[in-house]
Amino acid sequence: MIRRMIAIAAKEFRHITRDWQTLMVVLILPLLMMFLFGYALTMDLIEVPVLIEDPVPGEESSRIAASIDATTMFRIAGNVTVASDAEDIFKRYHVKAIFRFPPHFSRDLRRSGHGGAPVQVLIDGSDPNVGTILRNAVEPLVLKATLDVMHIRQPAIVTVDHRVLYNQEQRSALYFVPGLMAIILLMISALLTSLAITREKELGTLEQLLVSPLRRSEIVVGKILPYIVLAAIDGTLILLVGYALFGVRVAGSILFLAAASVVYIFTSLAIGLLVSTVAKKQQQAMLIVLPATLLPTIILSGFIFPLASFPLALRCISAMVPATYFLQIIRGVILKGVGLAELWQPLAVLGGMGLFLVAVSVKKFKVRL
Amino acid sequence: MAAVEVTDLHKKFDGVTALNGVSFSVNEGTLFGLIGADGAGKTTLLRILVTLISADRGSAVVLGNNVVTHLAAIRRQVGYMPQRFSLYQDLSVRENLLFFADVFGVAATERNSRMERLLSFSRLGPFQNRRAGHLSGGMKQKLALSCALIHTPRLLILDEPTTGVDPVSRNEFWEILFELKRGGITILVSTPYMDEAHLCDRLLLLHKGASMRTGAPAELLSTYPLALYKITGSSGSLTVLPETPLPRGVALMYPAAGALHAAVRDTIEPQLLLSQVKSFVPAAEAIETAEPTIEDLFFYLLSEKEAA
Repeated sequence: MIRRMIAIAAKEFRHITRDWQTLMVVLILPLLMMFLFGYALTMDLIEVPVLIEDPVPGEESSRIAASIDATTMFRIAGNVTVASDAEDIFKRYHVKAIFRFPPHFSRDLRRSGHGGAPVQVLIDGSDPNVGTILRNAVEPLVLKATLDVMHIRQPAIVTVDHRVLYNQEQRSALYFVPGLMAIILLMISALLTSLAITREKELGTLEQLLVSPLRRSEIVVGKILPYIVLAAIDGTLILLVGYALFGVRVAGSILFLAAASVVYIFTSLAIGLLVSTVAKKQQQAMLIVLPATLLPTIILSGFIFPLASFPLALRCISAMVPATYFLQIIRGVILKGVGLAELWQPLAVLGGMGLFLVAVSVKKFKVRL
Repeated sequence: MAAVEVTDLHKKFDGVTALNGVSFSVNEGTLFGLIGADGAGKTTLLRILVTLISADRGSAVVLGNNVVTHLAAIRRQVGYMPQRFSLYQDLSVRENLLFFADVFGVAATERNSRMERLLSFSRLGPFQNRRAGHLSGGMKQKLALSCALIHTPRLLILDEPTTGVDPVSRNEFWEILFELKRGGITILVSTPYMDEAHLCDRLLLLHKGASMRTGAPAELLSTYPLALYKITGSSGSLTVLPETPLPRGVALMYPAAGALHAAVRDTIEPQLLLSQVKSFVPAAEAIETAEPTIEDLFFYLLSEKEAA
């Protein structure tokens, strides 16, 4: 029994190592996605060009403008005395925001009894994400700069001291590394497994396997074993690159993270397995697996959009997405450093899903053609 | 004891009849041929025997095991070679053999000697490290046969093993089958080539899912009721036959192996027949009596069926 299983697994390993094109995709895809998310698709805004409109440049307004320029988020692209048509500026230039100082800004500052000196900020909202981030950033920024200029300390009536735990600097690496783990492990496992089995159907080799004394479970387990190893290599790669290039440290136990990842890989493989019992051709398998796994994993797992914002119906669906549970686990381990005691629930759900899917697949796997 | 005992098998695929009441039996130690054109139901029949598909009606017993209830026993003792090459193209000859040895649980101690034997007898030894995908058609078939033999099965079931293989390799393949038969294995082989029929001990002529005749080739040919003439041309082969009414007294006329075969119900003056044929096939030149082959019998049986 074990020997037959190993024979299948060894054969599958040979297929993998000889199909170097697929192997390259498997090894390079995670790196490519890491670089994309890490460098190109960063959510941190850096050097957003802004315009300063200051009809009567005074000492205060100049110094406030200078401190806006000094932030990493903004860069002053130009200073004008009159910006007659803001819309026209947004349309024709790359400017994302316009800070408008009133003509009598210095005077207004000193007569602040009348509700303060007005500074208008016009924000280009055509990209809602950027708009929101800018809106949240400008008020505290201008307020603080103004107080500094006037040597006033913030009046201490209430001080809200907010500290973000687990990702103090809100670095996006800490957010995308776990997310990418969830996506890549799932994609590699589910897609490759479903392809590996439908390929045998397509090439007719399954016919030869079926007339042998092999049991269904031996074929199935033997075939998925190599892909567990392959996905585990990918997982390790992601964590290593995450640590080396993006400084993502695993706060909790790496051993527990590895074990949980294997459970997640197992569940993902089971999805691929189930698809392969239905699909007759590789193309068909790919067309089922990709939308069925990637879409929910990216959108419904809480990777990009917070689960709390979903309506009930979507939340029910996201409860059936394995990545939802894996994200809880991996974020917990990497950021909070928690372990089995806190995370046994999502882990149990993941494992249960995997076992259920494998059982259904073995049952559905036909011993006849 | 019969190695294969088939009784009244029926099988339909989506309403299309593939097998329509086939019965036959294969004696142990014989080479049994399943003869029929494409679509006759050969593959369906063989797949039922190796438990890959199940019949709608009727029974099949292979090596004493019912195909419905004793799948596992049959799969252990039968070597099966599907019509389509179904080994791993990206594995080498040796790796394919090793894989099937492991799958069939060939003991490690015996594995190597058995592999060497199969490699030498299939003459694949020099190519053992070549990937299966890079073998010629004939070599692929020999490799597939070797893989089907790795567990020393008692019954070998081969689905069109020589289709698409060059004539030299076809002869070699049949030589190997004779050698296996001498070793005591029962062989059930299907083929669309009528000229391979006489190489078998017994035959089943299959047409549209039904058996037309079964028996030894000589026995079957002795039932041929017509007189057969072979008409040859002056240069080259006579392959085209115009759509004209046949000469009087001629029951059947068709091209066969470069000549025209004319099957005649009653005695006829050969030269008279030749001159009649010349009127619509000007290239016809000589006529002689011919011994019927399985192909001639096949054509006769088909015409009988159509007439009925």
